Amino acid sequence: MAHLAQLRALIDELVAAVTSIPETQHERRDACREYVLRSLRHHTFTRTNQFEVQDRLNGLEERFCVVGRDALGEALRKRLDALEPHRTQTTPEVLHLLLELADQPVQKSKLSD
Amino acid sequence: MPPNERAEKQAAAQQAVDILHEIATILNCHLDRRTLSICISMIENGVNPEALANVIKELRKHGQEAQLEAAAAASSRRR
Repeated sequence: MAHLAQLRALIDELVAAVTSIPETQHERRDACREYVLRSLRHHTFTRTNQFEVQDRLNGLEERFCVVGRDALGEALRKRLDALEPHRTQTTPEVLHLLLELADQPVQKSKLSD
Repeated sequence: MPPNERAEKQAAAQQAVDILHEIATILNCHLDRRTLSICISMIENGVNPEALANVIKELRKHGQEAQLEAAAAASSRRR
């Protein structure tokens, strides 16, 4: 885990970007920052399994096609292929984050977005 | 690192973020580019992605509450 000062700086940015809590509500902002710091330092999640991430993405691509949203499946495959040359050690973890944040993409995603 | 090499690396990193942002859009993650960049930096610094996802979901709820309160306070001031 990053040096605490570095992590705190990133947490400040994250809280500002995600919550848009006005500066006037500084107590609430501070509470959010502390909550984030605690949650990120003391959690019980295991490390990302890159093969599981790959399986989930393949499954999603397949589901897009099964429900007749082939264009979305193709768009996803095209981006995953384009990402290959840029792959780093943390790419599976970033993709894991995106899978966790995915909000019913099979039903709600629009290609026009 | 020579400036040219640094610029090339930066451009490649930007391209990777662009692709990841497109994937985030396809997955309907509700993440803008800035937030995604912050998340990538956090993960590169050792933050667990699942813990981060939970935190983001929770922060979104806090943000909505704060905005509702701010709106309520503003409307009571107008009365």
